[in-house]
Amino acid sequence: MRVSPARAVLVAALGCAVLSGGYRAAAGQPQSPAHVADQAGQAAEVPAEASAVPNGGRAWWSPGEARDLPQAIEYENAHGRLTLYNQGGPVETSGHPFFEPLGPNGRACVSCHQPADGMSLSITSIRERWEETAGRDPIFAAIDGSDCPSLPQGEAASHSLLLERGLFRVFLPWPPRDPWGAGRIEPEFKLEVVRDPAGCNLDPTYGLASDNPMVSVYRRPRMVANLPYVVHRNFGVGPFVGKTGEPALRDPENGQPVNMNLMADARQPTLGTQAMEASVTHLQLLNGLNPAQIAQITAFERQLFAAQTRDLHAGDLLAGPGGRAFGPRNLADGEIGVLGNNITRWVFPIDEAWGEPQARLTAEQNARRASIFRGQRIFHFRTFWIRDSMHLNTVGLGNPTKRTCATCHGMHMTGLDTANGWMDIGTTNLPWAREVPRNPWTTERERMPLFRITCRADLPPHPYYGREFYTQDPGRALISGKCNDVGTIVMQQFRGLAARPPYFSNGSAATLRELIDFYDRRYNIQYSEQEKVDLENFMATL
Amino acid sequence: MLCAGALSWASASQARDVAFVACPIVQDTSNVPCWLSEHGGEVYYLGIQSDVSAAFNPPSLGHLALVEGTVSEGERICGGLVLEPVKVSIMPALSPECDELRMVQPGLELPFEPPRPPGPSSGRLAFAPPPPAPPPTPPFEAKTFEIFFPFEGTVDFKTPDALQAVLAYARAVGEVRLQVRAQRAAVRLSDGQVIAEREGIAAVRAREIGRMFAALGEGIAQVEVASSDVPQLGDWRQRKVEITVTPCDEAGRPGC
Ligand code: HEC
Ligand code: HEC
Repeated sequence: MRVSPARAVLVAALGCAVLSGGYRAAAGQPQSPAHVADQAGQAAEVPAEASAVPNGGRAWWSPGEARDLPQAIEYENAHGRLTLYNQGGPVETSGHPFFEPLGPNGRACVSCHQPADGMSLSITSIRERWEETAGRDPIFAAIDGSDCPSLPQGEAASHSLLLERGLFRVFLPWPPRDPWGAGRIEPEFKLEVVRDPAGCNLDPTYGLASDNPMVSVYRRPRMVANLPYVVHRNFGVGPFVGKTGEPALRDPENGQPVNMNLMADARQPTLGTQAMEASVTHLQLLNGLNPAQIAQITAFERQLFAAQTRDLHAGDLLAGPGGRAFGPRNLADGEIGVLGNNITRWVFPIDEAWGEPQARLTAEQNARRASIFRGQRIFHFRTFWIRDSMHLNTVGLGNPTKRTCATCHGMHMTGLDTANGWMDIGTTNLPWAREVPRNPWTTERERMPLFRITCRADLPPHPYYGREFYTQDPGRALISGKCNDVGTIVMQQFRGLAARPPYFSNGSAATLRELIDFYDRRYNIQYSEQEKVDLENFMATL
Repeated sequence: MLCAGALSWASASQARDVAFVACPIVQDTSNVPCWLSEHGGEVYYLGIQSDVSAAFNPPSLGHLALVEGTVSEGERICGGLVLEPVKVSIMPALSPECDELRMVQPGLELPFEPPRPPGPSSGRLAFAPPPPAPPPTPPFEAKTFEIFFPFEGTVDFKTPDALQAVLAYARAVGEVRLQVRAQRAAVRLSDGQVIAEREGIAAVRAREIGRMFAALGEGIAQVEVASSDVPQLGDWRQRKVEITVTPCDEAGRPGC
């Protein structure tokens, strides 16, 4: 489908609304940051057709199923059981814009934010859908469910990043749009494509040299639950970004600064503007959602909580005293947007009594609870040298700094950073990022794109990588244009982890154990086997 | 970079002042690490790791540091002569040779309880913020504020706090015009060498601070930025941006 005249008008209208600039609330749609108009241009290029597909059974939610979502619903996963809790009561999904296929490609928000997967999307679900629908589920839509829309659709090879790593294509204008003005930001670095297995960055229609120049990076869906914690306006939120001093994004509705913890690169200020972008990019609903739909989606998002409630080996996590970290009801009742500490308010509060043997539990259950409790202590107290991590080692703690996991993951109940949580731990920057080894014997090919970053000669080099380095995803730098932001990724909440592998924004850790091993290598932590087991057991209960 | 002698003379020349560029060294302890640096055969103690609220922020391995301090008469800490007050700046160039992390040694411990352990806090920042200044009161006239930077430093995590007083004043006045003037500095080291900040840094400082105010919008009618690239020789007080807040009533200029 080419841009029909009607669509072209809508794209232009969105562009105009954005260009009029400023933070004043527009009548109707919230003004999304300017990059969304560019994305709409590309979304209009890509053919979109919905096909009828079978419902894959009770756990999978297809768009437009009109099944009601009860107040509390439980789903089994590899580590136990996740509970979803609607604080506002049962949700009628018929006609609900989160659940209805609003655009031409048959997708709904729920397509990629599945209840059984903690409102994210696990690789298991993706592969099951591929098998069950012979690749026709709308999640595989050409726009971002394939490695590039220009590839032959319907072949597994064209969807390899989604099938192998759980990654959707995220396309962003390059150079970035200036969120404070009508123009573009002059980037502090040169971005060159050195490897483009999917072909999308070099594609004449969708790539960097196209009429609508776009970078393509590949990212995991993020959890759409416990969002009051993600978008709070409490500790650490002010007119300036606390870690860098740059001006903070503002809510277009009321002009207030926001905490910038949404999406891997914090490009969207609010749930409303995020929903607008999602409707344009993922649903190909080129004129975006209407205000009533946005209100309904964000109201739903703000009352939905999700966490594990049962562990395969420890049993009911809420049994006995002191398990204040566990389950969605504790999250719904928790203090929102505050920093954890080691006395009154742990990041993940589990009282000592919880870890002690309980008479009504089996020996196995008691042993597992003791391990989970040790894991919680390791998360809070086991020190290691955090080194060369942008926006952590640059905020006054020194480089290296002797601290713990809870230093970066400090927000009470979620392990988010309280605000502006983009940092570089090396998940996307070389030499730390996961890459297929290059040697004469391997036949495996690396699927991720690779960019060469050259920081401008008139500015200081990147303090840890120097003037020239390589990344699979520049992260926040695709929005800010800053050299120091290359490879910084906004951390995700530590919730429903058991339900939504693989981990990290680029899906580079297939299991929780791989995630722990990444940290062990990255910071030379030298965890013992027991420490790794305890930490994994703890994270699987959140 | 070496600079011509045309610079005005003012430097760390008193007997107990030192200014040098050297690698920082991390000395671990059984609690938080100490930060040291060696120069001229002497070991200096710069400070400890605490948190964002501290006046002393440790530098970075992988980079040289400019150390400017006064030798204190007190006892050595972590084996180093204590510099107090001390300013430590991270030099932007990469210096991979600066990579010394000394492990915990028996007998080498902090002589005090650090304000922040190397893990979650006990519920407060290491250093209480100073009590908030009383709100500015009329009559409001043009007022100039100064904010300071590390050597080669630009806007960073400390800048928002440093701007608090300016913001409070601007808010109290109502409609204001802001003039931001930034300068470039140079330092004479203990060995007599003069090093200057990189060219263009004053313009970057002015532009970044201007952008912070411009983004605030409300009440700020106009932001003007200016900078001087002539290196001003002296100590950390030369690495500054001056911000003049002029009430629009007084300025009486069109557009304000
Ligand atoms: C095709 C899959 C897909 C669909 C459909 C989809 N999303 Fe997402 N969602 C993603 C991906 C991928 C990300 C992460 C993008 C990034 O980090 O740049 C994301 C992130 C989010 C986030 C950010 C959460 C956080 O903590 O940062 C929210 C909120 C969200 N989506 C809501 C929605 C809504 C509302 C809709 C429907 C209008 C929707 N999504 C439709 C894939 C999808
Ligand atoms: C220097 C800061 C820092 C430290 C220290 C740190 N993390 Fe992270 N963490 C991050 C960032 C940034 C991300 C997001 C990275 C990404 O997605 O690419 C993240 C992501 C995560 C996630 C989310 C994964 C997902 O897909 O939802 C988990 C779980 C996690 N870290 C666990 C830990 C553990 C366990 C430790 C201690 C060994 C730790 N982190 C230490 C910064 C840090």
